[in-house]
Amino acid sequence: MNKKSETRELFTLEGSECIIRGTHHKVRDVSYCAQLDIVERDRIGVLFLNSLSPTRAGKGDSAVYWADSFAEGGYPSFRFDLPGFGDSDGDPPADQLNFINHGCYAPIVCTKIRELVARFNLSGVVLVGLCAGAVSAIHTAAACRECRGVILMDPYFHLPLSPRSSVWGKLVGRIPAGALRRVLKRCFHILLAARVQMPTAKLPSNSNFGLLRHYKELASRCLPTLILTVPAVRQRGVGFDYINYICEQARNNQMVLQVVSGADHTFANRIGRTSVRRFIEVWLNDYFPLQGRSEDVVSAEKSECGSAKSRIQSVQRYLHEESLS
Amino acid sequence: MISQLPTNANVLEQAGYFTVPGADLYTVVHQPTDPVARVLLVGPFASERHFSYHPWLRWARYLAKRRIEVIRYDYRGIGESTGVFEDLSFEDWNEDVSLLADWAASRLPRIPLVLHGLELGAILAGKCFHEGAGDALLLWSPPANANQALRSNLLSWAGMEQLWESPENRTSGSQYIRQLERGDSIEVQGYQWSSRLWHDSLSFELPSTMQSDSVSDEVYKKPVKVVKLSREAAPLVKPHLMYNELKDLSWLYSANLDWIVSALAFQRKIR
Repeated sequence: MNKKSETRELFTLEGSECIIRGTHHKVRDVSYCAQLDIVERDRIGVLFLNSLSPTRAGKGDSAVYWADSFAEGGYPSFRFDLPGFGDSDGDPPADQLNFINHGCYAPIVCTKIRELVARFNLSGVVLVGLCAGAVSAIHTAAACRECRGVILMDPYFHLPLSPRSSVWGKLVGRIPAGALRRVLKRCFHILLAARVQMPTAKLPSNSNFGLLRHYKELASRCLPTLILTVPAVRQRGVGFDYINYICEQARNNQMVLQVVSGADHTFANRIGRTSVRRFIEVWLNDYFPLQGRSEDVVSAEKSECGSAKSRIQSVQRYLHEESLS
Repeated sequence: MISQLPTNANVLEQAGYFTVPGADLYTVVHQPTDPVARVLLVGPFASERHFSYHPWLRWARYLAKRRIEVIRYDYRGIGESTGVFEDLSFEDWNEDVSLLADWAASRLPRIPLVLHGLELGAILAGKCFHEGAGDALLLWSPPANANQALRSNLLSWAGMEQLWESPENRTSGSQYIRQLERGDSIEVQGYQWSSRLWHDSLSFELPSTMQSDSVSDEVYKKPVKVVKLSREAAPLVKPHLMYNELKDLSWLYSANLDWIVSALAFQRKIR
């Protein structure tokens, strides 16, 4: 058995008495780069954090696909299993979601990022997180100097609702199944939708305030941020449009929002994974351009997807649509 | 019996790439000091890997702590292994098992080798054993053929998909099957299933001599055990609800370890 294949290398980070296992996707096509030595000593790495998916490969091995793609494009990419995930040591915390929501993985991720940066001669990392992984990415980025940017895929900013009160349960239980229950349900959904569309609605009581505070810190630092979301996210019934809210919070040139059509929440389907790859590649080229990279390559990609910076307008447009609706 | 097996905390877990034609298989060896037997785990297939990962890995660690060396791996084109899933066939995955079984048998120290497969992996392990590899065979929930496993995964996935789609956009499991039968590819949980894969699966079968333990023992003159896992063993098998939470399956692990111990009769060595 070998630790390396042609395109990948397995690694172990053993600092702080915590063993983390991961995969390094090596930069392999550097033919476009006139000065390889510059790339080798001053590189931004792309680091994928675990979502709630059991392994670092992600659903349908989508994270493997993205990491391979970015490495091919010149960005060394890394995926590792945090404690309790995949092949790393330890069991998952008893309440893993709560653990993630409150940023309890952030200290260990910060430590491991430092190890990773030192070991692979990186100038910093861009964190990529899907769903719960995006929550870990925000908490970590707020605490980690080595983090140069974040890519948040369908992030959420709320905590699980507490169980419905017994009074409400009894009331609902008294309504017989039929037309009346359907009418009440319909009214409830209309009211919920109206609440989502209210631009001045207050943050719900189950908002993840710690996470929102950390997000504001990133925005005030003007940390380059790409948010990828799916069209259905606003209809999920969480009762508040957090994406709109954080767009309002971060009216700066460093945040890009992209709605990915045709994708599901995991972005693991063909359309989702291909779109994500393209949007991230363009965004990386805009914010973390590779030195010595041929202009022909960059302009070809931009003509396909458009510049990430130009898509800041999409955030404004999104907000405008919100206010109209 | 399990209480008599000493646990060994000194277990090395070594991950690496095992090279096969056209790909590198992600392989992990759980290596205790002074092992008494070796098990090759032939794991869940494609999207099932995602759901079964926690209990499968913990089964490997459970065995390794009890002085059984474990080799587990990802199939070509799946998980951490390289290769393009849609370009591969059951013959390729069959070859993976054969090459790994040969390698496992050649490792030192020379100790008995158990082939152990789960669901579609059970067919692969069974075929390899049928060809003469291994000293014992343990099968968990083997389907009669690969199509049964694919069909079950497809129907389960299609059912879930329908929950998210509007009525006009819903595609039923039987509609997906018709697409495959007429030569189209479909995407299931991020994996591209080709029509060829579907057709090949119909004839990719568990050897008929493995349908019952008594027949198998007689034919192979080596221990063979087929275990049908119940829903209690989820998420190793369906339903995959709460698959990312840790579940205590020690009852399953201990019973199967007991079988391995008795099958290979190495208790004396341990004592």
